[in-house]
Amino acid sequence: MMTGMQAAASPLRTLAHGLRQRGRVTWRVLQLGAMVILLALSPSSWRAPWRRPLAVQLVRAALPLLPWFTLLAAILSLVIIRIVLVTAQSYGLSQYALEMVVRVLVLELIPLTAAFAVAVRVTVPMAAELAQARQVGRLERVRAQGADPLRTEIAPRALAGIFCVLLLAAVSSLVALVLAYVLAHGFTPFAFERYTRLVGQVFNPVVSLVFVLKTGALALAVSVVPIGAALHAREAGLAGLELQGLVRMFMVVLAIEVAGLAGNHF
Amino acid sequence: MSDEPTPPPLPVPTLPPSSGREERRATALLLLLAALVLASVLYVLYARGAFEPTQRLVLMAEDSEGVVVGMDLTFSGFPIGRVRRTELAADGNVRILVDVPRKDAHWLRTSSVFTMTRGLVGGTAIRAYSGILTDPPLPDGAERPVLAGDASAEIPRLMSAARDLLANLGRLTADESALSTTLANLQRATGRLDEQLAGKRGALGALLGDDAPQVAATLARTQQLLTRLDGLVQRTDGVVARADGKLLGDKGLVDDAQAAVRQLNQLLAEARTSLQKVDGLLQDAQAVAANARVASADLGALRAEVDASLRKVEQLVNDLERRWPFKRDPELKLP
Repeated sequence: MMTGMQAAASPLRTLAHGLRQRGRVTWRVLQLGAMVILLALSPSSWRAPWRRPLAVQLVRAALPLLPWFTLLAAILSLVIIRIVLVTAQSYGLSQYALEMVVRVLVLELIPLTAAFAVAVRVTVPMAAELAQARQVGRLERVRAQGADPLRTEIAPRALAGIFCVLLLAAVSSLVALVLAYVLAHGFTPFAFERYTRLVGQVFNPVVSLVFVLKTGALALAVSVVPIGAALHAREAGLAGLELQGLVRMFMVVLAIEVAGLAGNHF
Repeated sequence: MSDEPTPPPLPVPTLPPSSGREERRATALLLLLAALVLASVLYVLYARGAFEPTQRLVLMAEDSEGVVVGMDLTFSGFPIGRVRRTELAADGNVRILVDVPRKDAHWLRTSSVFTMTRGLVGGTAIRAYSGILTDPPLPDGAERPVLAGDASAEIPRLMSAARDLLANLGRLTADESALSTTLANLQRATGRLDEQLAGKRGALGALLGDDAPQVAATLARTQQLLTRLDGLVQRTDGVVARADGKLLGDKGLVDDAQAAVRQLNQLLAEARTSLQKVDGLLQDAQAVAANARVASADLGALRAEVDASLRKVEQLVNDLERRWPFKRDPELKLP
């Protein structure tokens, strides 16, 4: 009898334990996000001695990624712009093609692509580094030496991820806007005024606000969620941690996208 | 964060010795991002017309459907204004507030007409038409009505008309319809024509059937008649030629007539001379008559004198008779 009840209670307990663990990690991740934002906004982080680790992580994250991601975004934009322009022309709707290109590429695709690229190339490896450091006790050693691992190790990496997403999104959006102009009008300056007007129509205040909020939220999510998961999850095993971080990050990104779409279109 | 230690030398164990290179690079990247963000913000503000002076135009419409804030007001296909706001007026109409940049405002005149059209695909378009560009420019804050044209509103009417047309077409092409019967008749007629053409009677046989030989005979007789008529015409031609010779030839009728006219002319001249003589004679006769009138007036006086003389003679005779007693014959004889 007792064993049957224990057997029945065991999955429930496991589920409750899992939910508690998940809630704890989520709370820690939110805390980490808030602390990273606070540190980014406090001027002391941008002064010595904290400036140096931040600068190192920024350069390490952004510099190798910037050229090839710009190239990738340019190729992707080129293909999509060409497809949209040709398709719209074949349906006789070419007057709406450019607006659609700007909306689809700049507002939707490029921030998402930049966020995923940074996640895959920057923040998930950084989270793995931190998880390893945590495993081998290096963070504890730093703390024992009297330093704060949040300021020396964690926040610079998260801030580097945020900065990287914003930089990549800005550069690729600019590239996409230029490519759209060139593909639609050719190398002529005379369509600039009309193109500018179209861009102005697309970026109305609501859409601009949603775009800025969405890009910021994506940057924060892909930077903080994997690092937070790596630091606070209990399970051992780097591969499992990475996977967990990726899944969490994917869920958060999905939620942000849904919220962004709702903000833009409802 | 409050319990954070604040010793000045903080060990950073994972970093290599400082060289300043990373910091410069990081600063450059941050500046790049800041520049990009700032440029984007400025560009979007410029694109939305935040830096150009504008004037206000208020368009009054019955319906604001399809009108969105930020859409263009176009003139000849060029955007010259942006919709800033739409609001309901006190009378239930819609006020569409449009900002027109000052540099484009000269296209709008007091006589300009504004239309709002809704296409089947795509959004609503507000257009301005200025027929007379020499009219006074539109003042700031002017209110103008906007004429609405709705392509989708035409669809039900169009569908109704198309349905009627299709029904008519269906009636026309039905089996028992007039057109179908006509076509069947035509087919029969062409079939018969084909048969007749294959035979010897030709199209005339197809048209007239059994009466065709009579018509052919009539035609032959008409041809004979025409031949005889031709001979007649030739003879008439000869007669006319001869008459021409008689009339207009040498010593023809016309020559004789000319000679007669000449003689007549001469006779007339002579008659004129005779008449002139008669005229003279008449004048003489007139003078004679005048003399005779005078003479007849004198004759009256003479007669009176004779009467008086006779009366005196009578008195004398009477006197004598009285005095002459042995009168034998009392009759007095006048000479």
